[in-house]
Formats: sequence, C-alpha cells, structure tokens
Amino acid sequence: MAVILFFAATAASAQQPASDWQAGAVLDISAASRALALGQRDQGLGLGHSDVSINGPIGHRFEAQATAAAHTLDRKLEVELEEAWVQTRALPAGLQVRAGRFASQLGYLNEQHPHTDDFVQRPLLHRAFLGGHWTDDGMRINWTAPTDLYVRLGLEAFRGRRLVEETASSRRPGAVVLSGRLGSDIGLSQSWQAGLSLLHNRREAALESGEDAEEGHEEGHAEGHTHGHGAAFSGRRMWLAELVWKWAPDGNNREKQVRVAYEHALVEGLDRFASDSDRHQASYLSVVWRFAPGWETGLRADLLRVRQPHEDHFDDGRLREAALMLAYKPSHAQTLRLQFTRQHDRGGFPTATHSVQIQYILNVGAHAAHAF
Amino acid sequence: MQHTRSKPRAPSWRFALACCAFWSAGAAQAFSVFTCEPEWAALARQLAPTAEVRSATHARQDPHHIEARPSLIAMLRRADLAVCTGAELEAGWLPILQQRSGNPRVQNRAPGMLFAADHLTLIDPRPAGSFLEGDVHAAGNPHAHLDPRRILEMADVIARRLEEIDPAGRDEYRARLAAFQADWQARIQQWERRAWPLRGTRVVAQHSTFAYLWRWLAIEQVADLEPKPGVPPTPRHLQKVLETVRAAPPSALVVSAYQDPRAVQWLAQQLGTNVTVLQLPSTVTEEQPADTLPALFDHLIERLLAATR
Repeated sequence: MAVILFFAATAASAQQPASDWQAGAVLDISAASRALALGQRDQGLGLGHSDVSINGPIGHRFEAQATAAAHTLDRKLEVELEEAWVQTRALPAGLQVRAGRFASQLGYLNEQHPHTDDFVQRPLLHRAFLGGHWTDDGMRINWTAPTDLYVRLGLEAFRGRRLVEETASSRRPGAVVLSGRLGSDIGLSQSWQAGLSLLHNRREAALESGEDAEEGHEEGHAEGHTHGHGAAFSGRRMWLAELVWKWAPDGNNREKQVRVAYEHALVEGLDRFASDSDRHQASYLSVVWRFAPGWETGLRADLLRVRQPHEDHFDDGRLREAALMLAYKPSHAQTLRLQFTRQHDRGGFPTATHSVQIQYILNVGAHAAHAF
Repeated sequence: MQHTRSKPRAPSWRFALACCAFWSAGAAQAFSVFTCEPEWAALARQLAPTAEVRSATHARQDPHHIEARPSLIAMLRRADLAVCTGAELEAGWLPILQQRSGNPRVQNRAPGMLFAADHLTLIDPRPAGSFLEGDVHAAGNPHAHLDPRRILEMADVIARRLEEIDPAGRDEYRARLAAFQADWQARIQQWERRAWPLRGTRVVAQHSTFAYLWRWLAIEQVADLEPKPGVPPTPRHLQKVLETVRAAPPSALVVSAYQDPRAVQWLAQQLGTNVTVLQLPSTVTEEQPADTLPALFDHLIERLLAATR
C-alpha cells in the first residue's frame, strides 16, 4: 500500500502540472535492535513516518495541503489522512485562519513533520503527552505582528482526538491551544526562537467527569505501553515552553551549524483524586552539530516524570532517555542516520531498554518547505 | 500654579507629538522591499532609493540552504514588494516565509511577489530527473544575475513592478530606470572590452554558480567539483577531476564566498604552482570591494584577469 502511494507520488511529481500545485513523497525506513519503552518503532525492520503530500493555492485567497501518512506499529501497517487543511492567504493585518486537519503549533516540534527530525524518534515528552505527533481536526487563527522582532500569537480549537489514551467517544470533546512565539537574530551568526503554549484539554475533563472515568484509569495504568497512538499520559492543562537557539558561522548553515532545542512540559489536573502536586513533567535538551556539509551528529537527553493514577492514589513513574546520533545527508533527497538510545527506568517503566537504530529517509518530488 | 508650570513644558510636549506623528507617518509610508538575494536588493536600491530595501541573505550564505528563521518571517511581514530569483532556488525556505508572514501582498501571483526566473531566459533547463541526480532545477540554472545583460532586463521588470504597486512614484522610477540603463549599458561595453583576454580561459569551479558569467565572457568551465548538483565534493570525485584536468591544467580553480575552499586548495596542491585558487563573491557583498552591482562585476573581472596573467 505504502509502496503504491509512494510510486503514485513519484509519478505525480514527475509530471508537474502547469499550476503551482506540487506533490512529493517521503519514505522512512528504520531498523531497531529493540523496541523502546513508549516507543513508536518496532523491533526489527519497520516503516517510519512515510507520507505522500500535495500542496498548492486555491485561487488567490487560499492555499491547501493534504498528506496521507503510513507507518508500521506493532507489525501492522497503518495508513491515515494526516493533514487536509485550507489556509487563508489574503487576510489583512497579519491574520491567518486555517481549518481542517493539521498538526497543532503547540511547542516547537509538534508542527513539524517527523521526517525532518534530528533523531529517529520524537522526544519522550511528545511520545508520552502528545501521542508522538498530535494532528487533529480543528481551526486556527494566528496573528503576526508588524515588527522586526518576530511575534506570533495563536489560538487553536480541536476535537481533541488522541489526547486521552483511549479514543473514548465523549459528548463534550475539545481541546484549545493558546500559543505565543518570539524570535530574532543576534548578529549574523545566531538566531533564536522562544515560545509558550497552553493546552486546555476539555476532552480529558469530559472523560473525568463521565461515568467511564474509572475504566479509563484502569487502562491508563498499563505500564510501559509500546503503542503510541493516543497520549499515554494526560491531564486537563498542559504548559509547554520551547527555546531554540542556532548558530552558524556568518549564518552559512550549509557548511557548519549548531542547533540547540529545549522543551519543557507540565501537565496538571490529572484526575479528581489529584492534588496540586500531582502532575506530569517532561523535558528534553537536544544539541546537533553539523560539522561538515551533509554530516551531522547530535545528542539528546530526555526526562519524564509522571504520577500514575492507581485507584485513589498515585504512583511515581520516572524514565530517562539519552540518544546519540550520526547522520549523513548527501543532498536534500536523502538522509542516513545511525542512533544509539539508552533508557533508564527509575520506577514504573520496566520495559525501559537500549536500542541501536538505523534510519533511511528518501524525499521525492517537492515537499513542503521546512520550518526553522 | 499648575498652568504656569505646564507652560514651559508645552514646546517639548508638542515636539514629542510632532516626532511621533512624523515617525508613524514615516513608518506607514516607507515603501518596503524584501529581496531573497543581495543582488536584487542592490538593484532595487538603484531604482527606488527612498524605499526601505532589505535582503534576506548575504554573500557568505548559500541561497539554496537558508532556514526560514523568525527574523525573515518578520522581515517579509512588512514588505510591499518581494523580489526573489525563483526557479526553485528558494524552494526550501521562501514558501514557509510566505505562509507564516500573514502578508497578502507577497503571496505567489500577487503583484508584490516578483520572481526573476519568470521574466528571464534561463540556461540549462533540465527535465525533472530522478532523486539520485542531486538538487536539479528543472526550470534552468537560477544564478542568472551574474550575466549583466540579464540584470538590465530585470531592472526594467522591477521598475515596472514598482510603478504598478506604487503609482505615486512612477516618474521617479522611470527616471531612475533610464539613468540606470544608460550607465549599465556603457559599463557592459567596458567590461566586455576589459575581459576580452579571458576568452577561452579554462576554469574548474564548484556548482553552476558562475555559469552565466562564464557564458557571457566565453570562459570554459572544464569540470565541476560537485559530483552531482548540490552535492558537496567527495574525495573520490575530486580524484576524478584531478585525472581529467592533469594533462591540461585550468588557469583558475573557482569557489564562491559561501563554499568551503578546502577542496580546491587540495586540487591546486596536486596540480602544482601555475593554478590559482579564487574564492569569488557570487553576489553583492556587504563590504568593499564588491558592495554594489558595478563593483561586483569590476571585482570579478579584475580577479579573473589577475589569475590568468
């Protein structure tokens, strides 16, 4: 199926129509010596986040993008419509509205396609709290300030699919994300971006107040789940702070570059038994160094601290992860990555392990340009 | 009491208000031009000297590999006109800037978004090949600004677009264009005379960055340091280049200011003493000696002449 999609996109990209519409495909194949706790890649050979994507304008006022994604999980191939959105291009005063299915812009990494990541798997933070990559049906309104300092404020409202571990059909769904982001350059060589997002998870609240709450928490207690679809841990509110700093001599990032990214998440309001001190936290720090054109190495340290509900009390769960990677990118089209990941169980994650992963990514045709 | 005290302050208060009014009027009215590359900024400054012209990139950056940085989104947010090269040169970053800027004036097909490649004839168009052929631009080589005759064509295109977006400045733009054209045509003739000895010179260069310059001056690029377009030089490929040019070494080995010179330095060492390594600016630089368009071509021709002497 994925192969068919892949070749369909190859054919589509080869015969570019005269319009501005573009099509592209990404193939992501990986092999892992073991499956990680809270991981999203199987042991052995697997298909990572591979997609077929089209994007282009609809008249002068709108642009649209659709992406069908496929990956294997638990040895099964899963295909889904990952993105299908329309966005305005002609609103005044720096305003933009997007509607459809898309990835929330909360935090740094979530709105980016996983195949542009610097590591084989998303950070623990994203795997534990956002199901790896949170895309959902909803609407977004953004405002960009007319200033030299980049200022962007955004409000998103979603159905809230996947934010709770089981796909409970609730009568009061919904998740709202408020986010702000700043960014600029420092001289020729440095640039930075900082942001703060607040996710209000009404779906979690609905689940909590509903009759099925007890059942939900029994399931939520399952330790070290490997299935990565819904969020493994959730609460009513999540704060997510992001800080990104990049350095390249004279701004020539083709030759050499250092990229540092940090995200920290705090999840509150776990359930009705939770006190103010019962909350989940996760953070990661990643440092990637492009030491020659096409060659990168990087290190990422992840920390996850959760309070796992168990009837009327909570158990501590702690998981640490460290990843070291080396990547070769001979051109825009290809990436070959070798990664070693080590997990430490500090309570509640008996499936923690270590793994050697190899990943190959192939881009064909025109794919949506990459964000900072 | 209060009245007498406030009286001496009135002038400074009024002055501040006047300043504010002046500043906000100025901020609202300053015509803002965003360019993807410095050559178009230099040209826009010639044609619209009162506009606020800013380039997203500079000569020491590889324009193929720019990141959609927050500062660039903010820069595009306020632009009335954006001038870029097109032909997929900016495909990796400009679409994100457009999408996130929230600026309707600079979206594709809007009058405020101008791509040079839509108005110039490009050399070496290639059918979209397989992904293994490197970063190929199907529409042709995008580095067209290194042919001064194409700069002349673009001056006309940019001036007409300025008129369209800012009709109030029409006479000014026309006068500026006429002056630029007269001056530039004279310069082209001078450059062609001056560069006459360069005809038939053989060079090795990295990427097709200077292809338009070579074609204009009848210089022959006998080998490319890149194994495939956009792919950095590899030891194996450099060995192959060395084999092909050893019998008849080129006069110069050329890299751009944003390319790593180590590959050509190694090649020069292998070839011996008569070969010059030239690291040339491929666009207008921020400092002298190539800080304007005329200075850029003066500089390129002088450096090449010095290398072949």
